[in-house]
Amino acid sequence: MAQTRSRSRLLWDIVSYVVLIGLAIACIGPIVWTFLTSLKYEADIVTKTMHYIPPRITFDNYVKLWNQSGYPVLVINSLIVTSVTVLICLLTGTIAAYAFSRFQFRGRTQLMLGYLVVRMFPAVLMIIPLFIVMRQVGLLDSTFGLAVAYTSFLLPLFVWMLKGFFDAAPKELESAARIDGTTRIGAMFMVVIPIARNGLLATCVFVAIAAWNEFLFALMLTTSQGSRTWPVGLQLMVGEFQLPWGMLAAGGMISILPVIVLFAIVQRAMVAGLTAGAVKG
Amino acid sequence: MAEARITYPPPRTAWDRYNPIRLIGEVSETRYWMYLLLLPSALLICAVVIYPTLYGMQMSFREMRLNRPDLGTDWVGLKHYARMLADPIFWVSLRNTAVWVTSAIALEFLIGLVAALALNRNLPGSKVLAVLILLPYFLPNVVAGHMWALMLDPRLGVINDVLVHLGWLAGYKAWFADPSTAMAAAIVVEAWHSFPFFTLLILAGLKGIPIDLYKAADIDGAGPFAQLRLITLPMLRTVIAAAVILRVIGLVNSPDLLLILTSGGPGRSTQVLSLYAFQTAYKDFNFGYAGALSVVMFILLMGFAWAYVRLSKVNED
Repeated sequence: MAQTRSRSRLLWDIVSYVVLIGLAIACIGPIVWTFLTSLKYEADIVTKTMHYIPPRITFDNYVKLWNQSGYPVLVINSLIVTSVTVLICLLTGTIAAYAFSRFQFRGRTQLMLGYLVVRMFPAVLMIIPLFIVMRQVGLLDSTFGLAVAYTSFLLPLFVWMLKGFFDAAPKELESAARIDGTTRIGAMFMVVIPIARNGLLATCVFVAIAAWNEFLFALMLTTSQGSRTWPVGLQLMVGEFQLPWGMLAAGGMISILPVIVLFAIVQRAMVAGLTAGAVKG
Repeated sequence: MAEARITYPPPRTAWDRYNPIRLIGEVSETRYWMYLLLLPSALLICAVVIYPTLYGMQMSFREMRLNRPDLGTDWVGLKHYARMLADPIFWVSLRNTAVWVTSAIALEFLIGLVAALALNRNLPGSKVLAVLILLPYFLPNVVAGHMWALMLDPRLGVINDVLVHLGWLAGYKAWFADPSTAMAAAIVVEAWHSFPFFTLLILAGLKGIPIDLYKAADIDGAGPFAQLRLITLPMLRTVIAAAVILRVIGLVNSPDLLLILTSGGPGRSTQVLSLYAFQTAYKDFNFGYAGALSVVMFILLMGFAWAYVRLSKVNED
């Protein structure tokens, strides 16, 4: 009996490895293929017989993309929009998450549910009025306006995720500080936020990645090179240059590099934060 | 939590009365402190979510065409909604949305569950594999779309090449140009992009199941599939319900991936509701009708969420 059980465990271990390695290859495969394509000459991309490994390696695609297509401006715009989005979330969302996590008050449940339900509002329904309003107040086609629009779906997410991290931070230290005469706001900034700093960092990174990646709002709310972000620029390149696959691949690789680096750095804390809310329901 | 009431000594110097740090510290001791903390974010959400949404809803009862200012912006009552009932594209989009959402979610759930079960065995090396498996979820739609467009390209797609070499395909196929395969191909891309979301949530749910349940099942002689059906899935009910609802919201609301991959084509074979609303607004500039389409989408989504929560009996726990 014990022998059959250990044998069946071994069998399931092998099955698990096969599944995991297969999935990992499927997940990484497209990224690797795009990377290989970005290193090929255009002549080696469009060929009769396919080259799986580039026969000659070139960085031309990266150089051309960087020098000719205005990509640096797009990247800088994206950096500005991403930073402003994170900053707005930090300034308004941190204190909101803290309030939800530490206080019982009238309307708390309803408000928290409200922060969740706003995510259900269709993006298209919001973008049209945002477009009209931003045109009126002069925020259309500006990086700041786009960042404000991003908070419509990222701020609720930020608050919910950060609340999970605040919930996980022990309350004893805070109580001790309060008994020593620290004010509530003092306890928040000097005790709770430092304890939850890893969670705060993970939440910020998650929001930053989402803002960096965003496409639909950027497509509608920016109209000129001056504030356009890289996803829109990359998408427009497809029409402009007759599908230059090498450059497109290079653009994709440059753009996902910061995402991959950030994800690798904070993935454990981020995974914990993403899942904390869901498990508790 | 027991709140310790703190009384302050009276201000000693004139400066103390105006010291902003001290003042804000005193404000933080009042009963309304939590409302003050919530105010900035609530105001912001009202400005960028609630107000635009209400504006969009009232727009759906108005004539509003950016390219036809001569028509004005009068109230037209239910005109747009009546038009929708008679609009064949609306019905096609509705059907496509149902296919798109259910197939993508079924696939994502299945792959996500298998990946989570395998990762949960905590085999050596599974931490590294987990990072690789979760990565696609954090990649931008634009790049994910173009990666797959490149791999499925009719002339230089590597997937075509591999399938031909394996003998599963007679010749290169234009996956996104053929109405019979375009939707399926788009669903594969979507599943690749978002299944890690299910893996993440299910993995977290699995950590919460007491190991004793499995030990007891082992003693009772229940096999792995019986354990999955009788212990794992019932225990994961809440997590799965939450994941499905969040994913449905995402899939119904955002036309991004289909906009990048197919723009609804060929013909109307991948036209979904969100995409139709989007194109009505930004290609035809008919904001009123686009608003009406979005409102219907929103109502259907709310209805689904309500019915799903009722049916999956999440509340019973």
